[in-house]
Amino acid sequence: MMNIKAFTLVSAVERELLMGDKERINIECVECCGKDLYVGTNDCFIYHFLLEEKTVPAGAATFTATKQLHRHLGFKKPVNELRAASALNRLLVLCDNSITLANMLNLEPVPSGARIKGASTFALNENPVSGDPFCVEVCIISVKRRTIQMFLVYEDRVQIIKEVSTPEQPLAVAVDGHFLCLALTTQYIILNYSTGVSQDLFPYCSEEKRPIVKRIGRQEFLLAGPGGLGMFATVAGISQRAPVHWSENVIGAAVSFPYVIALDDEFITVHSMLDQQQKQTLPFKEGHILQDFEGRVIVATSKGVYILVPLPLEKQIQDLLASHRVEEALVLAKGARRNIPKEKFQVMYRRILQQAGFIQFAQLQFLEAKELFRSGQLDVRELISLYPFLLPTSSSFTRSHPPLHEYADLNQLTQGDQEKMAKCKRFLMSYLNEVRSTEGANGYKEDIDTALLKLYAEANHDSLLDLLVTENFCLLTDSAVWLEKHKKYFALGLLYHYNNQDAAAVQLWVNIVNGDIQDSTRSDVYEYVVDFLTCCVDQELVWAHADWVLQKSEEVGVQVFTRRPLDEQQNSFKPDDIINCLKKYPRALVKYLEHLVIDKRLQKEEYHTHLALLYLEEVLQQRGPASSKGAEATETQAKLRRLLQKSDLYRVHFLIERIQGAGLPMESAILHGKLGEHEKALHILVHELRDFSAAEDYCLWCSEGRDPPHRQRLFHTLLAIYLHAGPSAHELTVAAVDLLNRHATEFDAAQVLQLLPDTWSVQLLCPFLMGAVRDSIHARRTMQVAVGLARSENLIYTCDKMKLKGSSVRLSDKKLCQMCQNPFREPVFVRYPNGGLVHTHCAASRHTNPSSPSPGTRT
Amino acid sequence: MRKPDGKIVLLGDMNVGKTSLLQRYMERRFPDTVSTVGGAFYLKQWRSYNISIWDTAGREQFHGLGSMYCRGAAAVILTYDVNHPQSLVELEDRFLGLTETASKDCLFAIVGNKVDLTEEGARERPEQEGCSPGRPSGGGAPPTLPKQVRPEDAVALYKKILKYRMLDEKDVPAAEQMCFETSAKTGYNVDLLFETLFDMVVPTILRQRAEGLSQTVDITSYKPPKRTRAGCCA
Repeated sequence: MMNIKAFTLVSAVERELLMGDKERINIECVECCGKDLYVGTNDCFIYHFLLEEKTVPAGAATFTATKQLHRHLGFKKPVNELRAASALNRLLVLCDNSITLANMLNLEPVPSGARIKGASTFALNENPVSGDPFCVEVCIISVKRRTIQMFLVYEDRVQIIKEVSTPEQPLAVAVDGHFLCLALTTQYIILNYSTGVSQDLFPYCSEEKRPIVKRIGRQEFLLAGPGGLGMFATVAGISQRAPVHWSENVIGAAVSFPYVIALDDEFITVHSMLDQQQKQTLPFKEGHILQDFEGRVIVATSKGVYILVPLPLEKQIQDLLASHRVEEALVLAKGARRNIPKEKFQVMYRRILQQAGFIQFAQLQFLEAKELFRSGQLDVRELISLYPFLLPTSSSFTRSHPPLHEYADLNQLTQGDQEKMAKCKRFLMSYLNEVRSTEGANGYKEDIDTALLKLYAEANHDSLLDLLVTENFCLLTDSAVWLEKHKKYFALGLLYHYNNQDAAAVQLWVNIVNGDIQDSTRSDVYEYVVDFLTCCVDQELVWAHADWVLQKSEEVGVQVFTRRPLDEQQNSFKPDDIINCLKKYPRALVKYLEHLVIDKRLQKEEYHTHLALLYLEEVLQQRGPASSKGAEATETQAKLRRLLQKSDLYRVHFLIERIQGAGLPMESAILHGKLGEHEKALHILVHELRDFSAAEDYCLWCSEGRDPPHRQRLFHTLLAIYLHAGPSAHELTVAAVDLLNRHATEFDAAQVLQLLPDTWSVQLLCPFLMGAVRDSIHARRTMQVAVGLARSENLIYTCDKMKLKGSSVRLSDKKLCQMCQNPFREPVFVRYPNGGLVHTHCAASRHTNPSSPSPGTRT
Repeated sequence: MRKPDGKIVLLGDMNVGKTSLLQRYMERRFPDTVSTVGGAFYLKQWRSYNISIWDTAGREQFHGLGSMYCRGAAAVILTYDVNHPQSLVELEDRFLGLTETASKDCLFAIVGNKVDLTEEGARERPEQEGCSPGRPSGGGAPPTLPKQVRPEDAVALYKKILKYRMLDEKDVPAAEQMCFETSAKTGYNVDLLFETLFDMVVPTILRQRAEGLSQTVDITSYKPPKRTRAGCCA
């Protein structure tokens, strides 16, 4: 059992003061009331002392007792018990089975001679029910068998108010309100003297040991139970605290919250009521009295009186903390709540929690430490300050005084153990990360975030970047130095960016890419810079680094222009400026023009021609003199063709000039096609390139979006080219046959048949002919249907006309024109199909004046 | 100190494992325990209620304290050792009498502890306990012993208690629900035992609150005249 020092034992009344060297004289009883100390002896004397307490700053208090006076009661019996009733200025003295009242100051008996006779022992009710401040309630165990009596004691008279008989002979009593807690011969009971209802507590054996009944607080008693137990019981007859374990031969008990103190032949033991553990043992021989008087605990032997001076709770708690007994310290602190003013307690308790937190921390019990720091509302800088160099140099923090722990820094705490150090750092990381978003961080967010940044940087932790790209309060100068020290240049760039120093940020990243400084945080810093500049609103910065990004990679670098957010692109970056800038970077320029022409569909001749020209140049360059003719079309070539085909904006003549003699028949065919020179184009395709499928494609794309006759003309032109070559060009004949068979519907069959040589077999052209015949039949039938429909429509109109002409229209003065509401003056009129009649001029004006109401709808 | 809303008391002969059961439940461990002196208690927060669980001393010496501990209890856990039939007998002979001070609607649970020492327990409990009702002590191989106390015996005791308390079987939880076999050593059924009881005790707490007759006396709002009604003097 670990001990704590809760009390010190100091002497109050030396033997010499009482009895000198008279051997026979013994102390029988003690009473203490404020500074007044009364001692009753076996030779019937009462002594009155004045206690002076002297507190020495460093140690426990000392007491000196000055004897005031003493008085002999006039018997030869011992003074059994003394009780002060300070409100009445009376001392209740039990001697010779009789309780007398004496003046507290001069010890003279009251003149009235009031007394309670026949008392073997008595107890004052410390929770009186009468409400009269000028009387005390006294309960006596009568010398009559099995009888308890209640008295009211006034200044100079006594009054019996109740007599209760008990089932067994009572031996000890304590009172609280209407409740008596009694030790009977074989058991303890609670007895309500007002109602007479009693409740058994538990049995014990009075022959084996003296009972103890001690009121310890409102409605709660402490009793000596079997097996040396100190049992707690409430007036309701239940136990709300676990028992404390004393020795078997305890003779007295007292309470000094939160401790229960017990006395036996050799020791004073101190148990905590909070955890029932024994906390202190003081050797004390031949003690026979232990009592507490309004918080002051007095023990006495038969020769001397001593005081148990409690150490201040805070001191006890500090002692516990000093020996790293966190649990006990907290229990004690919590238990002290009711003894300390709320404000003061909270401050004290928080501090204890914090101290306890540091103790757990030092033992690397991080979970516990965290909880204690949290509940103790620790200023997190206390913790940070343990770690060297983590607090920003500008921080105004100083550790609280007195210190919360004994450590100078982490090095001392871990004694240089790197593993422990790393654990502590990991803990701080997670702790700061949790704390930074809470209210607890208010006021020193800079310190927290800067410390966190330093930890992350040092540990090479991924969260460093997350910290810097989200809202943070990292101090620039302090953080920058640290990041540089740990070569976290990329992160440093982020820090600069966060502090609106984009130029510095980009410069750092550029230096990383260039290899001037080393930082392996990211392998794609270049791409990062490009992305950064792409989104950067600072035009100058973009221009300043445009060359650099393009030099690194034209294709990627150009993204700073091509991928800009749309809204901004229009306002600030002029395409012409960019093109100008990109002149040195042909591939980038191509990308940019593609972006303008293809992605943004800018309809500007310049860009289209420029792009076509660039493609062309590249194609030419790629072909070179060495490359074999008719090689696979390169990607660029495909792009060029696509552009030439799709766009109508570029300058065709200019390009034809450039392409002349370059050996690009396909491209020139397309260009000729753009000029409407289809025959020339097809000629090139057929005769130069001998690419018949390309020729067919030409017919198709060239006629895209045009009317069918245009397409037919193209196909006929192509067919004509094939056939004109004559039968000798066998290849072309085959091409012609294939063309007809494949695109039967694109031709006018009648015309084709006239063109074809007579020698061709029907079989050869079977698919074409079948298609043509089917087409023709289909056309005929469609026509027939159309004719039929037209005829029937005509018939319907004829029928209508007949109906209209069949009846006459009578015109009279009463008939009015529906338009002008005037009568008709002449026989000519206009009649609408619905029967409405109007003047001819009205009808005419109605057609010229659309705003006039329509008679058709009107009637 | 937090004021408990309800009380549960563990009773039973010495050495049946009351303290171990409680430590297994509260602290999730099975340390060596010494014979309990007097008693001890834990406060358990269950939902919004504080339930105090009292561990009592099984030694004869402290027997007299039982009545006081049981006063106003909402539930009593009568514990025996499945390997010692006498411990079940003691429940009826010595401990049942202590429960007279308990709350009127006090619940009773009968718990056979130390099943890990039985054959069934040692075999990881492949089948239900009480597989051989016809043979109270079937043969078994050492070191584990055949279970000495059958669950039916506990059920029979439960029914006796109801009779003793003059309760109708219909008004109280069924015997099967209230008889447990546990092992504090392995943790078998320990949570089930306590948490079943907590759930059952909560309505009792609510009822007591509604009646305003808290069995645990709130000393801050104590009204002396009420006491006569609250009293449950035997």
